[in-house]
Amino acid sequence: MEVPPNPELNLDNLPPLGAIEWVSVDVNYRKMRLLSWATVQLVMLLLILSPMVASLLGHVNYSDIHLWWVLLCLQVPLSGLWFMEEWRGFMRRGYAVRERDITYQTGWLIRNTTTIPYGMIQHSELSQGPVSRWLGINHIKLFTAGGSGNLRIAGLKEERAQELRALIDARAGRS
Amino acid sequence: MMDFSTPRRQHPLGMAILSVQFLVNLIRSAWPALIPFVFSSELEESTLVYILVPLTLVGVGAIAGAIASYWRFNYRLEDNALIVEKGVLQRERLRIPMEKIQAIHLFKGPLQQAFGLTGLRVDTAGSAGSELQLVAVSRAEAESLQALLASQIDPSIDVSPEKEASPSATKNEGFASQPLVELNASRLIKVGLTQNHLRNAFLGMAVLTSLGNPMEEVISSALEAIPPVALAVLSLLSVALFIPGVLLFLLSGILISLVLTTLKYFRFRSALGHEGVQVEMGLLRRNAFQVPFAKIHMTTWKSHWLRRQLGFETLQIRQAQASNQSNSDVRVFVPAMESQNRKTVEEILYPDLSAAPVFRVQPVRRLRWLIWIGAWLPSLLLFGLMSSLPAVSVSILWLAVSGYTSLRRFRSLKLQLHKNTVTIERGWFWQSRTLIKLSQLQGIQWRRHVLLERRGVGHLTFHTAAGPKAFTYLRKHEAMAIRDYALNQLHSAQSGV
Repeated sequence: MEVPPNPELNLDNLPPLGAIEWVSVDVNYRKMRLLSWATVQLVMLLLILSPMVASLLGHVNYSDIHLWWVLLCLQVPLSGLWFMEEWRGFMRRGYAVRERDITYQTGWLIRNTTTIPYGMIQHSELSQGPVSRWLGINHIKLFTAGGSGNLRIAGLKEERAQELRALIDARAGRS
Repeated sequence: MMDFSTPRRQHPLGMAILSVQFLVNLIRSAWPALIPFVFSSELEESTLVYILVPLTLVGVGAIAGAIASYWRFNYRLEDNALIVEKGVLQRERLRIPMEKIQAIHLFKGPLQQAFGLTGLRVDTAGSAGSELQLVAVSRAEAESLQALLASQIDPSIDVSPEKEASPSATKNEGFASQPLVELNASRLIKVGLTQNHLRNAFLGMAVLTSLGNPMEEVISSALEAIPPVALAVLSLLSVALFIPGVLLFLLSGILISLVLTTLKYFRFRSALGHEGVQVEMGLLRRNAFQVPFAKIHMTTWKSHWLRRQLGFETLQIRQAQASNQSNSDVRVFVPAMESQNRKTVEEILYPDLSAAPVFRVQPVRRLRWLIWIGAWLPSLLLFGLMSSLPAVSVSILWLAVSGYTSLRRFRSLKLQLHKNTVTIERGWFWQSRTLIKLSQLQGIQWRRHVLLERRGVGHLTFHTAAGPKAFTYLRKHEAMAIRDYALNQLHSAQSGV
């Protein structure tokens, strides 16, 4: 079998990924994430407090309600943790475009840094739901063979997403 | 060479094969409904009519469906793609570009063997996610189609004149290429004996119970017929029969392993050709795989203690998987590989392995304690089951045993980075060694949670077209060096082609 030419490398001169600059995603994306956080929290809170509401409306006796605070004690730290994940995670969220690959990092509690070479991208997809359309943001999904390396870069400004997609498509087609 | 540019149907005998397949599928999905009739004691003529009329209708329907789907199915080669048109009522036109084709398999089930025909399957991967199966083509047609497709998949192989003159000679008769592993009777038995008997025993039991389920009524009525005294004696006996029962269970497991191995690997032949790995095997259903070298995305060498005593290892070859069906089976197993076979394969697939590795990494020591705790924790459950003194002694004993095993396991975890290959080793009783070419990587992921980040530790995942492979708990600076090196090798390989 043909082995591609493979020049010797000096290990000390490799361009390290750690030193590159990260471009953060659009601030509106944080709005969107926090909006979904707030919606879920509101629904949870309503569910937990529904016995109290029922007693206020006179359907249930207040003395019959037990242990509702246990659920509240569970929900408050969990929602706090999720909020931290969104708030601090957003600052860490970003992508880096290099000559031959693209890297995306996410997360505060669980951190991921994924790099995909342009040459391995099979196709790309832009997607936008109703909320992201209202906020003017776009998500780009990059598909690789086998699907295990698929990458979704969420929360890009529309024109930025188009630029990025054009750049990726051009680079992916080149090799 | 045959002409594949005009639409072709399968061999006319395909109608018969399709009919049988349709019938078998129908019976397989509906047979429990028939059981009550079989066991009902008084069959009146009217009920017989109720059974026979629908059965005949179903049979006729299956045959008509088979003929229609045969008639409405055709395939051809056009513009460097395989075009398939199928569907009786709803027409479907499938276009499989040549570059999406992963492998071409020839197979001969019992039906194909009976009619002297061959089945052919085209595996695809990636975004196309579709595959083509021809159940009945003549042998000559299958081989010339396989040769044609193989030549188009990999442009480096041209269909040379002498190959065109006698395609079958190079493909099947001689395996003109370098032979790899062949299984004769004794080696087949060895492979069978080193299977996972426990799993096979449970598999056999599961099949038995699923067969027994519809007959539950019959069995319970039979049990009712036994007088209560005899039942009491039987239940007493069953305690005494415990150990023989376990032995019987294990023995049946071994038997099932031998039978399954024979069915799967009977007359197993494998060879390394110019194009790729060729494998042929099977008793009832003969399978012939041909995997081009360029389409092999991951190989794993697997062995356990018993297999190593025999000098055997199993090679698992993984091709690209379709993204929408993660468990689609695109793996080929080559059992009973000996050390010289391994050397031959690695010299061809990974020529850079002969040189010393560029990096050699082990996980952080912390992982050893994590493995130990994970192995020991279940023994705490004993405190719920028995009184505290035996529980303490057993769990202390288990602490020592798991301490030893977890140390061995920890020491076996190794990642080595060669010039164009990464190897990941793990396990001491069940060993596995996975090899991935850096030039085939689809992406690299560095993953850690916030506490690990503080300690500068994380997990590195190599994404390939055949699925991900992770190496966990390694130091950040080592992981970063590996990632940068791998990406650089990948890029230079891409620009070099």
